[in-house]
Amino acid sequence: MSLITTYCHLSSDHCSVNGEIVVTREKDAADSWFKQIYKEQEIVYPKFYKMDALSQAGFLASELIKRANQGLTDKYKDDEIAMLFANQSSSADTDLRFVHSYELNGAPSPSLFVYTLPNIVLGEIAIRNKWFGENMFAVLPKFAPGFFVDYGQILLTTGAKAVLIGWLGILGDNVEVFVALVESESEGGMDFNSENLLKLADLSHA
Amino acid sequence: MTYIGAEVIISPLGRTTAENWAAMHANRSGISLVKQAGFDDTDLYLSKMLDLVSEFKFEKLISDALAAVAENIDPAILTSDKTIVLVSSTKGELDKNITDQFGKSIDALVTAFGLANRPVVLPNACISGVLAINAASNLINAKIYDHAIVIGCDLISDFVVYGFQSLFAISDKPCAPFDALRNGITMGEGCGAVVVSETKGIFKNGAFRLLSGTSANDANHISGPSRTGEGLFRSVKKTLETNHVAPDEIDFICAHGTATVFNDEMESIAFDRIGLNDVPLSSLKGYFGHTLGAAGVIETAASMQMMQHGILLKSLGYQESGTSKKLNVVADNMTSHPKTILKTASGFGGGNASLIIRSL
Repeated sequence: MSLITTYCHLSSDHCSVNGEIVVTREKDAADSWFKQIYKEQEIVYPKFYKMDALSQAGFLASELIKRANQGLTDKYKDDEIAMLFANQSSSADTDLRFVHSYELNGAPSPSLFVYTLPNIVLGEIAIRNKWFGENMFAVLPKFAPGFFVDYGQILLTTGAKAVLIGWLGILGDNVEVFVALVESESEGGMDFNSENLLKLADLSHA
Repeated sequence: MTYIGAEVIISPLGRTTAENWAAMHANRSGISLVKQAGFDDTDLYLSKMLDLVSEFKFEKLISDALAAVAENIDPAILTSDKTIVLVSSTKGELDKNITDQFGKSIDALVTAFGLANRPVVLPNACISGVLAINAASNLINAKIYDHAIVIGCDLISDFVVYGFQSLFAISDKPCAPFDALRNGITMGEGCGAVVVSETKGIFKNGAFRLLSGTSANDANHISGPSRTGEGLFRSVKKTLETNHVAPDEIDFICAHGTATVFNDEMESIAFDRIGLNDVPLSSLKGYFGHTLGAAGVIETAASMQMMQHGILLKSLGYQESGTSKKLNVVADNMTSHPKTILKTASGFGGGNASLIIRSL
């Protein structure tokens, strides 16, 4: 039986882990909302600053899930944690910035271009943790718990022992992020099924 | 166990699979010099469908591909609720709607063909196609669907051309995978499709066994290949092991071979680590350019055509060995009846994927 053991939400003004708010946005702060979370949670990983918003969101959620689930990285081999992410608008948030760079700022920006693919966030998390497992990113019209349960179970029966699943809704000021860890051998958690996933994710659009 | 067949290729080399095969067999390339195609109006070598005229090109190509697929399978499959369509693409119809690059085309596909399930889009950079074919096989093996149609499609746009130019990744001549003088990619556009099914009988023109592959992240760099080929090595090793295939059973490798200095070098290291140095190997980028999200599907379809016709195509653009580890790059078309072939892909985000196709 696979269980959802830890989860994290990011909205446009709150960040919570397992349903408990851990950071609330300060409206007048000089830092972006994701930088506020990074600093307040005392995460140290300088590459964070060069990431786009989609990668920052996935990175922060994965770091907070690891903190709430001590020993996670030692529990599994380096290819036993898979990642399965999705959203509705792909990398559009950064795609718009990249178009801006060559239409209005004189030249295409290579540092933006490398983030114009939604699966880059998977690479960033893999690099951070030295995870060599299976990864997949899907674009879906809305959060589809059945997709995560079906394909998550496939990953758990083809070599992975844990799957980080995530919905990364990032477009402009709209932040709707839900990331959860599903483990096949664990003692506590909620059954990994569509009903529980829909309830836990609690995404306003879905 | 899954089967794969009904392959379709639409590219600058032709609108049908037969036209594409005839051109490939004659070692013709879809690459030409396109005037003022680059940033600041530079001329660029591209594999571009110069005669493709349509307001919604992505929608047109995936619809044409699905219509061509429908002619090669039992027609009831298309509308079955046990069939899923997977779309492998990085940028879809980006030029028309940047914040929803796939929605309209997917809706159109559902309506035009009466699909029972909404297609799922899998944008995973350059490994999208191989990953999508593996996902298709996994979904069937898990009994979630009985059939899956995988369509890979990407277009050349200012967006991707300017982006790769900004990375200094575009070759100043038609790309030359694995060659000593290679110096970058040539962008391409096109569409490919294959059908994966649990039932051999649905295919009108024969099928192959698909041995589901695996993927592995390099965990190294988001836009640069690993120096050790670790991710590709792991993916191929896992694909071989989970299917109980020994390296010496592989008769042909359809490599990714983008023709950048670092990518092709990385692939040579990974294949060397597995002991695949002597296996005939080609990259098809010299025919189609780099079609990004479509590449894995188009190149798998082309590999299936090679198996059908009993000919291994030469790796177009290759003249002299240019990797530190020895590879057996196919220098001229060869008559051969490969029983088992390996298809690989590697891409941005550190992704690596592989799959095996075996003749029945």
